[in-house]
Amino acid sequence: MFRRRGDGLIASAMLAPAIAILSIFVVYPLGRAVWLGHLRCDATGRKCRTSGWMQYFDVLRSSDFQHALKVTFVYALLTVPAGLVIGVGLAVLADKQIRGIGFFRTIFSSTVATSVAVASLIWFVLLQPQVGLLPDMLSMFGVMKNPGLLNDAGTALPAIAITSIWANLGFTFIIVTAALQSIPAELFESAMMDGAGGWKRFTNVTIPMLSPTLLFVSVVLVTRAFQAYAEVDLLTKGGPNPERSTETVTYLIYGQTSLVKNDIGLKSTTAVLLFAILLVLSLVQFRSLERRVHYGN
Amino acid sequence: MKSPQKYLFIPLIILASAVGSACSSGKSVTSGGNTAASSDSAVVTTLPELAACDTTALDSVTSPIEITFWHGMNTTLADELVKLTDSYNASQTKVKIKLVAQGGYEQTIDAYLQGSESSRPDVVQMPEYMVQSMVDTKTMLPMQSCVNNAEFDLSTIGDKAVTAYSTQGALQAMPFNLSNPVLFYNKKIFKAAGLDPEVSPKSLEDLTAFSEKIIASGAAKYGISLDSALDSGGGWYLEQWFAKAGELYTDNDNGRTARSTKVLFNNKTGTDLLTYLQGLLTSKLAVSVGDNASGQDQLLKLVDKKELTAMTIATTAALGPVIDVIKGGQFKEQISLEDLGIGPMPGPNGTQGALVGGASLWIVDKGDDVKNAAAWDYIKFMVSAQSQSTWAAKTGYLPVNKAAETLDPLKTTYATDPRFKVGFDQLMAAKDAPSSNGPIIGPLREVRTVVAQAVAAIFKGADVATALAEAETKANQLINDYNALNG
Repeated sequence: MFRRRGDGLIASAMLAPAIAILSIFVVYPLGRAVWLGHLRCDATGRKCRTSGWMQYFDVLRSSDFQHALKVTFVYALLTVPAGLVIGVGLAVLADKQIRGIGFFRTIFSSTVATSVAVASLIWFVLLQPQVGLLPDMLSMFGVMKNPGLLNDAGTALPAIAITSIWANLGFTFIIVTAALQSIPAELFESAMMDGAGGWKRFTNVTIPMLSPTLLFVSVVLVTRAFQAYAEVDLLTKGGPNPERSTETVTYLIYGQTSLVKNDIGLKSTTAVLLFAILLVLSLVQFRSLERRVHYGN
Repeated sequence: MKSPQKYLFIPLIILASAVGSACSSGKSVTSGGNTAASSDSAVVTTLPELAACDTTALDSVTSPIEITFWHGMNTTLADELVKLTDSYNASQTKVKIKLVAQGGYEQTIDAYLQGSESSRPDVVQMPEYMVQSMVDTKTMLPMQSCVNNAEFDLSTIGDKAVTAYSTQGALQAMPFNLSNPVLFYNKKIFKAAGLDPEVSPKSLEDLTAFSEKIIASGAAKYGISLDSALDSGGGWYLEQWFAKAGELYTDNDNGRTARSTKVLFNNKTGTDLLTYLQGLLTSKLAVSVGDNASGQDQLLKLVDKKELTAMTIATTAALGPVIDVIKGGQFKEQISLEDLGIGPMPGPNGTQGALVGGASLWIVDKGDDVKNAAAWDYIKFMVSAQSQSTWAAKTGYLPVNKAAETLDPLKTTYATDPRFKVGFDQLMAAKDAPSSNGPIIGPLREVRTVVAQAVAAIFKGADVATALAEAETKANQLINDYNALNG
C-alpha cells in the first residue's frame, strides 16, 4: 500500500513537466479558443461582447464557412492522391541500381529543401500572365494568358494544387525511397520464382510492404492540405474574386482579405470548427486505413 | 495500433449535431449573432486617460533614447526610408531610431493590433484606411497634443494631408508618405496611334476616345488595364472617383463630423461609374488583370509583348520603383524612360482632384514622456522641408511639407521631370469640401474588401445594380458591427 503511494508520487513528479507544458501550450489555448468562440471582438481583442454559443452554429451554417470547407476538401482531393501516386511512382523508378541514378534522386528529392514560400514564388513568377514564362510558351491554352491560370475561377485551385504537389513531392519521395530500401530482396526473389511479373511484384509485394509508410504519408499530406495557407496567400489571396475559389478554411481564419481576420471571436469559432472537423477526419482515416496496413509480422 | 474507436463518438456527436442544423443559412460568416448587443453584456477594458505630450522632456536627456519604428515600406521605398533615418540618427545624439521592417502595411497592422502592449513599438506607420481603427485602439498619442505643446506650425504641412488625418478636430497622426492614383501611359504607343504624347485623357469620355483610337491604329491591343484589388481598382479608386465627382462616400460628412453609420456608394454616381468600366471591358477597350495579386499586374500589362496595353492607373508611389525597373533594361523593347508618361487620373467630367492616400506616422503612448518627446523629435525631422524634398524626389510620394518643392533635390526633379509633380498638382486641385477628405470608418479595410468583390463581379459581367446593392448591405452590416463594439 505504502509502496503504491510512493509510486504514485514518483509518477506524478515525472509527469508534472509534461502536464505543465501540455496544459500551458495545448489545453489552455484550446480551452481559451473555445471560450472566445462565443464572442465578437474588436481588432485588438480587448473589447468583446458575447454573441451566444449559437455562434458556432451560425458560423457552421454560414455560406462563407461552407464554401471554404468545400474548397478545402476539393484541395485535399486534388493534392493528396496525385501527390502520393507521383511520389511513389518516382521512388519506384529511382529505386534501381544503375549508373547516374543518384543525380535523379537528388532532383526528385530537392523540393524537400524548398520552403512553401519559395515554391509558391517560383510558380507565381512562372505563371504571371503578363511577363511570366509559361503563359507565352503554352499560348495554346488561352486561359494561361487571359486572365491567367491563377486569375480564373475554374483553374486557380488546381493551379495551387499543382504547386503544392510539386512542393510536397520531395517529402513523399524521400520517405518512400527509404521504405523501399528496407524491403528484403528475398521477397522479390521468391515472387519471381513463383512467376510473378513486374506489375504483380509491385502490387503484391511492394505495395503491402509500403503500406505503413503510405498511411503515414497520406495522413501527413491530408493534414498539410487542410492547413494550406502560405501558398494561397502568396498565389491568390483567396481569390479570384468574387468567387473566392481558393479561400480555404485557414485562409478564412486569418487571410489578408478575410472579413473574420480582425475579430478574435469569430476567428476562434472558425478555428475550433476546423479543429473538430480535422479530428474526426483523422480518426476516420486511421480507422479505415489501418485495417489495410500490413506491418510485416 | 490501438483502436481510437471509443473516443470517436465525442467529436462525431459534435459534428452530427452540427450537421443536423447545417443546411446552409446562406448568410455571411459575419452576419450571425445579435448585432444590437445590450451594453450590459459588453466586456470593456477601460484604458487610462491619454497623457499629454511634453515635448520638452527630451531636453534633460544625456544618454541616447532608443525609439523603435515599425514601418511597411518595401524595395526602393524602404531603402530611402533607411537613408533618411540614418541621417536623422547621425544629426543628433539624444535619440536613436531603430527601424523594423514589417514587410508591408498589412503585416504592420496585424503585428500592431494582435501583439501584446509591451511588444508594440514607439512609432508606427499606418496606411490611410486605418485612421478610425487606430484612434479606437486608444493606445495612440494624438499628434495634436505634441503639435500644441511644441507650438509646431501646422500650416507648414499641406492642408489636405492635415484634414485627412484629423478626426474630431484634432490631428491624430502625422502625414508622412502621401500618394494618390495617377495615369501611367506609354508615349510610344500614343505617338504610333497619332495622339499627342504629352496630352493624357482627363475625362472618362476622353479615355474611351483615346482607347478607341489606339486600338484602331493597331498600336496596342488594349487602351487601358483595370484591376479589382481592394487597394487599387476594387476599392480605393472608387473612393477617389467619388471625391472627384464631389460626392460623399459615407454619411456624416465621410465620418468627419460624427461616426459614419452607412455607406452612400450605391447611388447614381456609383452605378454610372461601374457601368462605364464594365462597358470598357465588354467593348474590349480595356482588359482586367483581376485581383492583381502581385500589386503590379496592371502595370506589367504595359510591357506585355503579346497583349500590349497603352495605359493603366497606379499610385504615385509606384513611380520610383517603376523608373528603377525601366532603368533595369528588362523591358527596353516595350518602353524607355522617356516613353513613360504620367497624367492625372481620368474621372467623371474630367474634374481634377484626389484624396490623400499613403500613410502617416503615429506615436504609441506608453506613458513615457521622454520616449514620446523623442518620437516627436524624429517625426518632426521626417516631415521637415528638407527630408520631404529628398523623400519625394526619390520615391514618387508627394511632399507633405509645403516648402519641400522649393528645396533641392525636389525642386530640380519637379523642374526637370514634371511626371513627379502630376500627383501633387492633382491633390492641390481638389476642391475644399467634405467630399475631398475621404471616408473615415472603422472597418474601411473590410468595406473595401466587399466593394472589391462587387467590382470583380461587375468586371466579370454581373448586374451593376445588384452587385452594388449587395455590397452596400454587407458594408453597412460591417459598420454596424464595428460601431456596436466601439461606439
